[in-house]
Amino acid sequence: MTDQVTFPDAVQWAVPFFIAGILAEFLWIAVKGKGGRYETRDAVTSLIMGAGNIASGFLLGFIAYAFFMWLWQITPLNLGTSIPVIILCFVLDDLRYYWVHRFGHRIRWVWASHVNHHSSQHYNLTTALRQTWTYTFTFMMVVRAPLILLGFHPAMVLFCGGLNLIYQFWIHTEAIGKMPRWFEAVMNTPSHHRAHHGRNARYLDCNYAGVFIIWDKMFGTFVPEQEDDRVDYGLVHNIGTFNPLRVAFHEWVGIWRDATQPGLTLRQRLAYCFAPPGYSHNGSRDNSEQIKAKHLARYPEDRGTPGFEQFEAKQPNTQAKQA
Amino acid sequence: MPLEILLVLVVGGIAGITAMLHLTGKSRLRMLTPESARSEWLRHAPDDAVIDVTVSHDGHAALIRTDAGNGLLWSFGADTVARHLLDFDLLEHPQGFEVQFHEFGAPKAIIHLDELERRHWQHLMEPA
Repeated sequence: MTDQVTFPDAVQWAVPFFIAGILAEFLWIAVKGKGGRYETRDAVTSLIMGAGNIASGFLLGFIAYAFFMWLWQITPLNLGTSIPVIILCFVLDDLRYYWVHRFGHRIRWVWASHVNHHSSQHYNLTTALRQTWTYTFTFMMVVRAPLILLGFHPAMVLFCGGLNLIYQFWIHTEAIGKMPRWFEAVMNTPSHHRAHHGRNARYLDCNYAGVFIIWDKMFGTFVPEQEDDRVDYGLVHNIGTFNPLRVAFHEWVGIWRDATQPGLTLRQRLAYCFAPPGYSHNGSRDNSEQIKAKHLARYPEDRGTPGFEQFEAKQPNTQAKQA
Repeated sequence: MPLEILLVLVVGGIAGITAMLHLTGKSRLRMLTPESARSEWLRHAPDDAVIDVTVSHDGHAALIRTDAGNGLLWSFGADTVARHLLDFDLLEHPQGFEVQFHEFGAPKAIIHLDELERRHWQHLMEPA
């Protein structure tokens, strides 16, 4: 099967637009006096993380590409490179993105790579570029395997993935409030993605979409941004460093320290690697469900509101116990 | 894109944006008041009940006494970071103290204290 298909590296070509976008957002905030905020070291760290992400692609990208080309050799299917096929590939790759992103928040091994994107307490266009250096080590490239086995050429799949990342650049802003209703209903927007970056109990583990928000609505993870619950950006336990090396590797070091402490069973060691973030063998930490439950204990009036729907059904039992 | 052009764009872009932000005053550290320190602590640790707050004279650090033990809040760029004072080393620093947290993602905080504050803070930070 031929592998003489080439597509441009869209992310590299988008670099000038990233720079122009940051300058435009900064000027907008300066002129309007609202719509976000910038801080020098935070922004520089984000930009260096973005540059490191491109560098890690040069250094480690061949691993995923070799895997994809091996799949391409063994699949009997070839859908070609027509425009409808590229569009279909883009939509299916966005579904792939949704699940990789969801795994990235629910499996600590994958979170260790993705956490750096959430490690800024700011939310501006530089935050969009605060990208991972260690994605290859998550092995999440396997989630793309079905696409290639279905006959989508690896170069086309990667091209669509690049377009997906470029789309997500502009939604990392507070300068845009809400888009038109029809757009908010179908597409991922600044409003939806602000909620995703929230460390508020309400917004934990929601809005994993890349381009189409419909995936969150289909799979039950959509939480709309609430006017009465302003998004607080960052991590549940915010990091205290601007050092890009520490930003890139802090969760991996955390996994190592947790999983190698003495006296644990094998099951506990594996849980420190692969359970949802916040797992601890002795209950000393909280995962997102526990954080939400504690929030509802302080603010019971939030029960059943967006982000807390899963607790709605438990209310009668709780009341019975209280009675 | 040719690698040389990509390199120039990336390096030039980072340098230019850094200069622009610094020259427009975006490098200033967050200033804390007792009220803002209390509010920031509860943002980081919403389960705690704050008993009292001691803000350093330079306004960039605060010692927080809570029902869950003592904690340190410090300015982190325009924002703050908070940690309970559980596993840490307190080292002398020419301008105050250096608090080492044994944590890869928050290795240390340098607290600037004048001579009057230093002894008081040391007393407050000693394990109960």
